[in-house]
Amino acid sequence: MTLNLLILLGSLILIYFLVDLIFLRKSEHRIKQRARLSNILLIIGVLGGLFITINEMTLHLFLQILFLNSVELCVLILATTGIVLIFKTSITTNFAQGSLATVGAYFAAKMIIRWTESTELEMVQIIALAILAGVVLSFIIGLFIDTVIIRNAKRVTSVGKQMITMGLVLMLIGGIPLIFGTLPLPFNALSYEVTTIPFGDKFLVMPNHNLISIIITVVVLTILFVALRVTKWGLGVRATASNEIVASMMGVNTKVITALSWAIAGGLGALAACLYAPSSAQVTVSFMTPVQVNSFLASVLGGFFTFGGPIVGAALINIFTSIASFFNSVWANVIVYTLILLLVLVKPLGLFGKKTAKKV
Amino acid sequence: MNTLLLRKSKDKLKAFTKHPYFGYIVFGLILLAAQLLTMSGMIQKSTMDSIILTLIYAVIALGFSLLLGYGGLASLGTAGFVGLGTYFTGYFAGTLDLPFGLTILISLIGAVLIGTIVGFISLRIEGMYLAIITLGLSEILVEVFKSFEAFTNGVDGLSFRTFDLFGRLMSDEAVYIIIIIVFVIVMLATINIIKSPTGRALLAMKNSTSAAQSMGISLLKYRLLAFIISTVYAVLAGMLYMINSKFSIPTTWNLALSLNILAAVIVGGSQSILGITLGAFMIFGLSPAILSNIQFFIDHPAAISIFNGLLIILVVMFYPGGLIRLLQTFVAFVKKKYVEFKQKWKEYRYGKDE
Repeated sequence: MTLNLLILLGSLILIYFLVDLIFLRKSEHRIKQRARLSNILLIIGVLGGLFITINEMTLHLFLQILFLNSVELCVLILATTGIVLIFKTSITTNFAQGSLATVGAYFAAKMIIRWTESTELEMVQIIALAILAGVVLSFIIGLFIDTVIIRNAKRVTSVGKQMITMGLVLMLIGGIPLIFGTLPLPFNALSYEVTTIPFGDKFLVMPNHNLISIIITVVVLTILFVALRVTKWGLGVRATASNEIVASMMGVNTKVITALSWAIAGGLGALAACLYAPSSAQVTVSFMTPVQVNSFLASVLGGFFTFGGPIVGAALINIFTSIASFFNSVWANVIVYTLILLLVLVKPLGLFGKKTAKKV
Repeated sequence: MNTLLLRKSKDKLKAFTKHPYFGYIVFGLILLAAQLLTMSGMIQKSTMDSIILTLIYAVIALGFSLLLGYGGLASLGTAGFVGLGTYFTGYFAGTLDLPFGLTILISLIGAVLIGTIVGFISLRIEGMYLAIITLGLSEILVEVFKSFEAFTNGVDGLSFRTFDLFGRLMSDEAVYIIIIIVFVIVMLATINIIKSPTGRALLAMKNSTSAAQSMGISLLKYRLLAFIISTVYAVLAGMLYMINSKFSIPTTWNLALSLNILAAVIVGGSQSILGITLGAFMIFGLSPAILSNIQFFIDHPAAISIFNGLLIILVVMFYPGGLIRLLQTFVAFVKKKYVEFKQKWKEYRYGKDE
């Protein structure tokens, strides 16, 4: 299989240079056509690589692995969307996304413990309510962070804003043990049953928790994307993303837009953390760190220019990781990160990035 | 005749004190004196430990400031490179038992190679994308540290024994002195780089790549150079870390460390050597050296983290030039007041100028 993949990679590179040298040499729009060529070859490469691996491990196994890892995919997509939302409005990468989410998850876990003792509700209801409570808390904290800190740091450079979010990480991580105690809190899944789906003569197993996570993610993201298309807030976000000063001159209340974006990003993060927590059955201070690193990489892979791109990036990272850990669980992350690095080197602005002319 | 001699020697002294190296060498001597006092028991050993740790992190921060403060290149891969330095030392000098000089040579070659790779990446990717891609690179390194057990002893961590340099077994005190000397050398090297055409070229590149290129500055050459120097510093700091703490575990070299280095550079002031040392002390040295002796922070260890976070946020929001700018403003204020006071004293003593 490795040989096949290498042959695929080599032949694609060969095709690129041959076409570039023979057909595009005298073309007037060589750079543009070269970019188009590399796009086509990239798609062929990814699809071909997937085809070769699926061929190797059979479609049934491939789907089964994807199903089992689907909750990670949902978590990654939600977290990535939060990061992109903040990048669009505040032009900074929010390192506090993970910690903000962790605070929400801690609150939810605390609520689960309290409500199981005091109320007679069923476990599923309690968990659902607790997740809602966690999301609301992170929403409020996000709102608070923007109105108190980020709004007053308008003149700080984007690296400076990164530093501020880093300071927030330290404050949140320090705050968690003070408020919730130093021990990790247990966090139950929404359901421990599994659904079996017939597939040819075999069966695919899908845990119900993953199924519910997928449904929640799809619903939340659909609402978010419709809101970005249709509502005034969405228009404001897109205007702020393209140019904040011009947007505010045109009467967009950028303060409210940015505050809401931080709040929504916080809520998305908390939702992601609450869905992710059951896979290790507990909430710890740093359990969102790998998700956060992956979602940064997903944003870069997809490009910060669109909302859809990072989601595709997240999906690719998740699929790569699932396949790689099936074949070689020890070196899986190294393989995936190297692959992402190579992809980003081929397309520095992300898979869906648009090249903007640099003004001097 | 006598006064003339006195004035001459005074001028000589002045020329000596005005030398750019003077302050740094005095700083190094003070540190050495502090180490001697610690050996005689005047200063608590834990205080000196945290100062030494600060110096190691300050070496990393100095390398990073060449990238960020002078080159304008944000990198989050620092932690991985430092980890690489620790494992180079631990593997070649510890596991393979090579002579220490050879280990230094191998580590530096490794650092140059890694720096070149990152430098080439930085030619294609810029800004925040570069930060995240270097973060990915660092994650790759950490995964390698975790998985490549023959080299790094896996997640259990690699320990290191005492080593001999120039045929002598190095004790803990000797290691401290080595670290102080290396730190002073690194400071002097940094000031030489900053004040040389290379430093000016980096600064030009930071302000505008297009303008720098049009003035004949090769982007390729100086970006590679900046990354190579920064990586060499990081690997060097990793070696110092290994000979000091004698233990390295993959989870130390995570994103948080890279962010802390970034914080040290920003909090201290990204373009001043003393500022960066101050920043490194604020981030890494403050809590073990001072805060952990205060009763409130002993009762609530988590409050240290909150305090650090608050400090970073406040400095970034209100003092974008870093703490060193605050210090400079304060010194200027004191000087101004002193001059005014001198004037007033003269007026009081000799009467007003008519």
